[in-house]
Amino acid sequence: MGKEIINEKIHDTFLRRALKNFAAAYPVARAKAFDGVDFETLRSRISEAKQSGLKELPDLVSRFKSRAEQTGAKVYVCSTPEEANRTILNIIQSKGADFLVKSKAMTSEEIELNPYLEKNGIRCLETDLGEWIIQLAGERPSHMVMPAIHKNKEEVAELFTKETGHDCPPDIPFLVQTARETLRSGFLAGQVGMSGANVAMADTGTIGIITNEGNGRLVTTLPDTHIALIGVEKIVPSLKEALDVINILPKNATGQKITSYVSFIKGPTGDGRELHIVLLDNGRLKLAADPDFSEALKCVKCGACANVCPIYEIVGGHVFGHIYVGGIGLVLTPFFHGFDKAEEILKLCIGCKKCNELCASKIDIMGLIVDLRDKIRKPIGQKFMFGTMMKNRKLFHATLRALYLAQKPFQSEGGRIRHLPLILNRETANRSLPPIAEKPFRDLVLESYSKLEDRSTKREKVLFYSGCLADFVYPEMCMDTKKSLEKLGYEVIFPQKQTCCGIPARYSGEMDVARDMARINTDVLLEEEADYIATICPTCTMSLKHDFPKLLEKEPEYHKKAVKLAGKVFNFSELAARKIGESGIVNKEATETVTYHDACHLKRGCGVYEEPRKVLKELVGVDIAEMTDCDKCCGFGGSYSIKYPEISQEVLKNKLENIKLTGTDMVAVDCPGCKLQIEGGLEAAGIGIKVEHSATLVARRLNK
Amino acid sequence: MLADFQVAAEAVGTSVKRFTTIAEAVSYVQGLAGGDPVSASYLTPEIREAFHGTVFATPDEYADTRLCVSFARAGIAATGSILLDLSDPKERSATALPLIHAVFLKASTIVADLYDLQNLIAEGLSSSGTAYLSLTTGPSRTADIERVLTIGVHGPKELHVLVLEGE
Repeated sequence: MGKEIINEKIHDTFLRRALKNFAAAYPVARAKAFDGVDFETLRSRISEAKQSGLKELPDLVSRFKSRAEQTGAKVYVCSTPEEANRTILNIIQSKGADFLVKSKAMTSEEIELNPYLEKNGIRCLETDLGEWIIQLAGERPSHMVMPAIHKNKEEVAELFTKETGHDCPPDIPFLVQTARETLRSGFLAGQVGMSGANVAMADTGTIGIITNEGNGRLVTTLPDTHIALIGVEKIVPSLKEALDVINILPKNATGQKITSYVSFIKGPTGDGRELHIVLLDNGRLKLAADPDFSEALKCVKCGACANVCPIYEIVGGHVFGHIYVGGIGLVLTPFFHGFDKAEEILKLCIGCKKCNELCASKIDIMGLIVDLRDKIRKPIGQKFMFGTMMKNRKLFHATLRALYLAQKPFQSEGGRIRHLPLILNRETANRSLPPIAEKPFRDLVLESYSKLEDRSTKREKVLFYSGCLADFVYPEMCMDTKKSLEKLGYEVIFPQKQTCCGIPARYSGEMDVARDMARINTDVLLEEEADYIATICPTCTMSLKHDFPKLLEKEPEYHKKAVKLAGKVFNFSELAARKIGESGIVNKEATETVTYHDACHLKRGCGVYEEPRKVLKELVGVDIAEMTDCDKCCGFGGSYSIKYPEISQEVLKNKLENIKLTGTDMVAVDCPGCKLQIEGGLEAAGIGIKVEHSATLVARRLNK
Repeated sequence: MLADFQVAAEAVGTSVKRFTTIAEAVSYVQGLAGGDPVSASYLTPEIREAFHGTVFATPDEYADTRLCVSFARAGIAATGSILLDLSDPKERSATALPLIHAVFLKASTIVADLYDLQNLIAEGLSSSGTAYLSLTTGPSRTADIERVLTIGVHGPKELHVLVLEGE
């Protein structure tokens, strides 16, 4: 993605404020809308119904078509945008019309219908307020549900003044009234009306339209001819499935229990009226049959993935997406618009999984984005870096050791790196960096022989998988982990042949390398019989526990091993929490208060968020002052913070603000990456708040 | 059920009034109309009868009337929604164009949630003919400019639900 446009959006103060306010208001409204509704049950039902529908999509299409035709509608299945555009033009021309009045349809944006029709002498009028603003501005929507969220009232007033010829003040009720009055004549004069649909029902040939403004009802009522342009994936078997979509969509989209209008339209109602249903394929039928990516089509287009995306919050939909925006936009773009349009945007995801948590149809959005990166062109040199260097553990570790010497000139007092030379200095602009340690943990551990205090009882054996960042940058954090686990009654062993978990390769689209790393580590960690594998980096935990079995799915023998390994992998806090209550290690009254930052990959990657808090409260003996958005990304994202330092730092700023508001002087984390990012940000901003890994806090406490 | 309906409907800006007789409800609506012609969508014969003396607008006049009246097939307590059968395009325009929409709703037809209407909606859609059913919840609204909630874009700016308790 061009740095210029990213910087333009980052410095667009209105956009930033609008998106930030929305990001804060949305979860509150959403929670209220879901009050009394079991979100997980509902979305699971939608997910299952949609997925099984995709398996029989061609059949659903033909059932819908034949039922709709029985009601008197004309149905066209168009495989390409060109075909759909041509079909729509023919319908309009057959009515001798030259004016199309439209309600909102993302499919119309997808096929770029308006420019096509205008070129052929048909005037198009968008009547959804947001879409009309966008049409007047000559732009594209920056959000699926709120297309003009990037426009402020002053800009809207200017557009309306120009359009109406009357002076329009930047007063929102006035502007809305202006839209009402100006567009009303359009509804009354429109010869042909056009809508999209949020859902279509195969058993009755009915389409369902969800709107708030009331324009949907007008365009499907006032003109005698109604054209509905619908993506084929919107077809569900019956009303039963449609009601689930209608139930979840407004709640997830805008935090409304239901929209003002939900219309069920079956056939051309009334004498002399026509209903033309244009079903758009444009790659959908092929995608529905794709074994790896079909689930993307379960999307109900609620836009929640954008609503909660920390990157979308910074740059908006004109950067974070193509025509479809937000997380799912990144996934759908290559299939609807080609890989060339998707190449840059696919890299913009930071991998925090927040979208997965809220997706109305339970799509693994983030997983699909990562898998799609394997299919795009890779930067020059990347193949060497991952393919040659990371696969060779000795070479990789030797390079990290060499970096210890190379960083010397840039270290300031205390050892931290505050300025990097020339082009690299963007990297340290708002974040200082910890240096690579003189001795990694893998060396230190060989020198330190810890004598286990009590050998009378059999100890559970733990293999410690530290992760590269902790090993080479935070060896003392690793030492704290080892000591803590030993104090808690485990026997801890560090297998020297462990190497990178492969996530950096996988997130960069080097799937073959990721598979190699999965095989290497699986072998190393199963070599010695043990009860648990302990990790202190959530990304590694997630990789070992969830990604390895998936990566090695097609190799039966390795897959079996990976599943065995996955069953033993636990995050430090999980293993520590198990020992709470055993004699001698329960803390008394809390004397200090800390705040806790949930690492994305621990909370959403592994489902672990209670144990860390239990460890802090009951083992370390501190109170927790929860921060706002405690589980929102800190902006690290591994190499993301180097590829997109501008975005990363803005995400970090939000996190620092929330930390400061707690008034505590300590942030506890369970991730070395989060520590690096947050500590670097606090240090660079001169804020005296410490950041410590739980393992360090436990070690300190148990050594007292 | 009615109490829940009222809370949910008022939360989205609907005015809910309860009446024991049709005559009282009609008289309230006539007050809202202020003597102007009224656009009428489907009404039960009893309600239509109670409107005697009121001038009903012709379809050509719908766009210029202030008030429209209709009769709901059911209500949803969880969301404060009403279900209208608007299969006749003229009845649809009647409820879509005016500034104020007044709907008669029998208290006995209020159900708990959307799923309780599944059979009724399915019935409406399964008949051999064409159909246009509409769930309406509150007045027309938008938040498309700076996410500021503004009432009354293209549809009615006011929604009044007249609950008939005694029928």
